[in-house]
Amino acid sequence: MAVASVTQAGIVGRHHEEPDQLYVETRELRVQGFLLFMVSDLVLFSSFIFAYLYLRNTGQGWPPPGAPKLDLALASINSVILFGSGATMHFALENWKHRNFTKFANWIIATIILGAMFLSGQIVEYAKISATWGGSGIFGAGFFTLTGMHGFHVFCGIIYLTVLLLQALQGKYTFQKYTGLTLGTLYWHFVDVIWVVLFSIFYLY
Amino acid sequence: MEGISATVAHVERILAFIFGIVVFFVAAIALKNDWKSKGLENQVFKMMLALLALGAFLAILASVNVLAGKGVEI
Amino acid sequence: MAVAAVHSGGIADHIHPEPESFLRKYVFSIDHKIIGIQYIVTCGIFMMLAGALAELIRVQLMRANGGFMTPDTYNAVFTMHGSTMVWFVIIPLLTGGFGNLIFPVQIGARDVAFPWLNMVSYWIFPVAGLMLYSSFLMGAPVAGWTEYPPMSLQGGAGTSMWCAAVFLMGIGSTLTGINFLVTILKMRAPGMTFTRMPLFVWGQFVTAPLLMIATTALGAALAALFVQREFGVPFFDPTKGGSPLLWQHMFWFYSHPAVYIMILPAFGMISEIFPTFARKPIFGYKMIAFSSCAIAILGFMVWAHHMFTSGMAPTLELPFMVLTMLIAIPTGVKIFSWTTTLFGGILEFTTPMLYSIGFLILFTIGGVTGVFLAAVPFDLHAHGTYFIVAHFHYVIAGGSLMGALAALYFWYPKMTGRMMNESWGKWSFWLYMIGMNGTFLPMHWLGLWGMPRRYAVYDPQFQTWNQIESWFSFVMTASILLTIFNAIWSIKYGKKSGANPWRARTLEWQIPSPMPYYNFKHVPSVFAAPYDFAEPLPYRGLEEELTDSPPPVPAAH
Repeated sequence: MAVASVTQAGIVGRHHEEPDQLYVETRELRVQGFLLFMVSDLVLFSSFIFAYLYLRNTGQGWPPPGAPKLDLALASINSVILFGSGATMHFALENWKHRNFTKFANWIIATIILGAMFLSGQIVEYAKISATWGGSGIFGAGFFTLTGMHGFHVFCGIIYLTVLLLQALQGKYTFQKYTGLTLGTLYWHFVDVIWVVLFSIFYLY
Repeated sequence: MEGISATVAHVERILAFIFGIVVFFVAAIALKNDWKSKGLENQVFKMMLALLALGAFLAILASVNVLAGKGVEI
Repeated sequence: MAVAAVHSGGIADHIHPEPESFLRKYVFSIDHKIIGIQYIVTCGIFMMLAGALAELIRVQLMRANGGFMTPDTYNAVFTMHGSTMVWFVIIPLLTGGFGNLIFPVQIGARDVAFPWLNMVSYWIFPVAGLMLYSSFLMGAPVAGWTEYPPMSLQGGAGTSMWCAAVFLMGIGSTLTGINFLVTILKMRAPGMTFTRMPLFVWGQFVTAPLLMIATTALGAALAALFVQREFGVPFFDPTKGGSPLLWQHMFWFYSHPAVYIMILPAFGMISEIFPTFARKPIFGYKMIAFSSCAIAILGFMVWAHHMFTSGMAPTLELPFMVLTMLIAIPTGVKIFSWTTTLFGGILEFTTPMLYSIGFLILFTIGGVTGVFLAAVPFDLHAHGTYFIVAHFHYVIAGGSLMGALAALYFWYPKMTGRMMNESWGKWSFWLYMIGMNGTFLPMHWLGLWGMPRRYAVYDPQFQTWNQIESWFSFVMTASILLTIFNAIWSIKYGKKSGANPWRARTLEWQIPSPMPYYNFKHVPSVFAAPYDFAEPLPYRGLEEELTDSPPPVPAAH
């Protein structure tokens, strides 16, 4: 019954509160600040991508001696899983915008599950690579640093989305004021887009 | 054991191919529906949906080995 | 009835309640003005530490064949001197210090966009500084503030601590950049278009993206060095497939924009001080504003001019040389604009004006030697010598630091409500000019004669000039100490300043000194740039600011 009343309070609260001018202006600030944060995160990834491409093209050739082979089949399905989670997150936000709380909740849970599946896939890939590790440090410098950073971002994203779901259940967001959900979706898409680049430079290049 | 691991990879590729196509069309249709939205954050969303579609497309090609890098197990 | 609120609802009317406890007021303040003062004071402390290290260097160099330090100690001393000055003095002072203190008031805002984040950015600073200095206890970093591998891969744990400390400081910088950029984009007063902003705000506006973007790139480089040192990941080890050149690319991609972070705010400060003390509009407002944008953008494209002797592909030398020389053009535009601002003005030679004129001369000298160095054939000869040391000290100590000192004398009344002692100020200025030039001018020819930098002992033929430089450095130190003493003494004994002792025209001078926590009783509207001395002030709604009327009421929530 506690769950039902929380959800009830959430539903009731969700329909009140017209956005006032202060909310509208601070929303602009928060969205821009978050976008700039994503830009700086992009610079972080770009720096390591530069380092990987530089090392790959000025070193002993690629793959370096002793480096393990990457599993393209696993990475393909894993990538599709992550991209799919981007699609489900898009649906989650769309449903919120169309005032459908239940569908929002279902789609965001699907996103979290798919994100967790992606991380599991990465762990399997890491395990396979470690099994055939030839001691090539430079492979680690490129592959593990970047995919590790990305995996950490996915992990944080999963926590972030879970927190958003819990907050939504408690009625923190209304159908007019839901900036947190928008920002969470932006972050999740960002993590997805980074993976497009990483997938290309490690598995397709 | 060899036959089994080949099958796993096979399943992975088929799933990647099918769901890749699904995700590609979902992203492309979402992009088309949102095309006229305004505001900075919506432009960013549109860019990301486009890149998502691109990613799905690349994954489709990867699943059938049309695109495969050096150092990758085919 | 008081003037009707010009702006109602929204951020401009949103006033935090006045902080009550000592902790909330002075320690964990979210007020940009208090945070600015905290930054300035902390930078003062780190400047004394870095200055002491500098004097250790100068005392060591009085003897050609060894003073009192082993080469290893000497290496640690100049490494920490440089690291402290760049990341813990100049950058935080110009952005977090004077930036925080002044620009939000200049745009008519009540605070920055993310005040709590601002506080976090500040508190990262002393923690990171403690981390940096703790490295002395564990085998200090010794490879210079640039920490090139393979030298930076060796030695004690201090280098890893250096990586962590600077990385942490970088996070604060990045957050500050984001904060400032959003503030300027979204929180300007009604009517303040970009071309009506004070030039100090322009300086912060173009620096903020540099802080945000470049610093993250440094973070990546530091993280890579750290994981190589601690976990053996061979980014920079050629025997394992890495490349020492990779470090140089990653490091300089940040560190070149970093030098623009160090100078662009100072350009903004000078642009405020010159019109005020020439009683004349700034010449070429738009040229100064847009050339700052050009410098910020071009600054990302020239990093490899630090690498001409590194063994990188020679085909890269020409484009980087050309782009570097190109930056001299927008910079020159500014120098001419400032000089023309002075021409025909009614000049008041107050201390801030003197420091600004000193800036104009010394930064120009430093800038000119920069153009020499942009030329590859010249740089091949001068790289790694004292000519480089001379160049960057002219632009930093003669440029950035002089700008910051000018700003200190100029905006001190806004911080404290009192003036700094003017005659001590003038003494400080002349001691600084004599000391700074005496220390760094001879380094130009010492460098060209072949004296290498970063050496604890050197060829005896250079000893006389080194001794001269060291004596002059004591004069420079005396100047800095006098300024610091002046700043502390004047808190209690300085002459009361009133709101606008310099009769300046930007918004911070139209409110009381020291500035109240709410900044404005009513957010003004703006209808022109502030520099037209022939016209009345271009603001509406400021009638109540200097009266005894009650402060604005915090928003009811």
